Amino acid sequence: MQLDEATLIGIAEPLEFLAVTIAVIILAYLALEHKDIVYAAFFFGLMAAVVSGYFLFLEAPFVAGMQIAVYTGGISALIVFGVLLLPRSQDSSLETFPSLEKSRIGKLIAAAVTALSAALALTYPGVWQTAPSYAGIESEGANYFLEELAVWLWQDHGILIQIVGLIILTTLVGTIAIMRMEKAERLIPLKSDFGIEVIDLEKEDDHESDQEVSSSSEVEDQ
Amino acid sequence: MRLFMDFLPVIIWAILAGALVVIMLLTSWFLRPHTLQNSEKTASYECGEEPIGPARISYPYNYIVYTVLFVVVDVLTAFLWLFASASWDIRGSVLIVSQAIIFTLIIMIGIWYAVSRIPETILDGSETLALYREAKAKRDKEVETTH
Amino acid sequence: MMPLYAYVLVAFILVGMGAYGMMVKRNLIRILIGAEIMGNGVLIALIAFAMYGPTAGVYTFAGQGLVVLVISVFAAHTALAMVLMLMYHRRYGHVDLGKVVILEDEHFD
Repeated sequence: MQLDEATLIGIAEPLEFLAVTIAVIILAYLALEHKDIVYAAFFFGLMAAVVSGYFLFLEAPFVAGMQIAVYTGGISALIVFGVLLLPRSQDSSLETFPSLEKSRIGKLIAAAVTALSAALALTYPGVWQTAPSYAGIESEGANYFLEELAVWLWQDHGILIQIVGLIILTTLVGTIAIMRMEKAERLIPLKSDFGIEVIDLEKEDDHESDQEVSSSSEVEDQ
Repeated sequence: MRLFMDFLPVIIWAILAGALVVIMLLTSWFLRPHTLQNSEKTASYECGEEPIGPARISYPYNYIVYTVLFVVVDVLTAFLWLFASASWDIRGSVLIVSQAIIFTLIIMIGIWYAVSRIPETILDGSETLALYREAKAKRDKEVETTH
Repeated sequence: MMPLYAYVLVAFILVGMGAYGMMVKRNLIRILIGAEIMGNGVLIALIAFAMYGPTAGVYTFAGQGLVVLVISVFAAHTALAMVLMLMYHRRYGHVDLGKVVILEDEHFD
């Protein structure tokens, strides 16, 4: 058979799709099951970058770029940062559920969710078709997609962008509000395996924390 | 599918970058002497002192604001990338440019609010010290009245 | 092109793994990662249906535009969830779901 481009694409496409699928599923499993949570966060970032390959299969170049920029560059960095801010002396004990019953119920509910979403997705009448329902869009360059998407988003539906701007404004105001609410401290020493990690302020009607007041008074008077 | 083939050099470059790291680590593993290690050799170095406790401390919590600010600016940048790659009909019309300016202004109001209120979220010791002094005065007064 | 059910299969496998991560794990950060994986699965399904759906021969960009907006809203949601988890740790000292006590009446008097 002749090796023109259509035949090559016909051979290579299922292989590439399979490669991306296997990479995504392995990375998602590692992101959930690895004992060390920093590894899990990095695996999640890598998984988000590989998922953008799906968007390239589906002729959406701007969404692929935005996926890498926002998910891997923003949300994955946020998760790694959050993990770094927590003291990690308690990580490895958190991965075994103490009671087998609760983890069994959890797995049952997860299987029910998967089955429900599979049922909803596979009863869509057009899900068994093998060709996309337009004609010849692949021959356009990436510029066509970007320009047409900009027309759809900025010209026809510009109000949605302003609403997203308001949502992001809410996020920023909410972050500051949450951190200011937690600013009033209570002096309770939070002990971990290596001694006192954080000293909060005591509650005034708590008699057992008088010991901590006296111990911190010794530190104060030095 | 054609887009995926267009981006194939990027994928090859990413695989080569990963392979470079692996090859460097393997080469250094080959080239270093393999002697027995004991606990004194593998302990971390702390200027001659004995290391106590884990190497990680927990950082103050208020630096999360900067990461949230980065995510917000990232989303803004993604929308502005889309706007910048549009044709002249979009970039040149006054209505759509004013929409983009309004969107940027809304997000900048949020950024200004967050940045100007960062000093209020920082836990320095002053509130803690004031609360502690109140509690100590109250406890001293109780001790006085019971004696 | 690949048939549609291939993309949908991948999408609900990811949704299932995300649901498993949210139901079974104890670390709060891992639950957040599970939520993110679920979101990624839903986005794959959205764009796949956008390309294979009934559009009468003309490709409309509604699917891609919707996914752009959904990604940005989801990023904002994840940022707020992370801040809430950190404030929980600041107050209680742990991020263990097994030790979370929901009803404490020290503030409600």
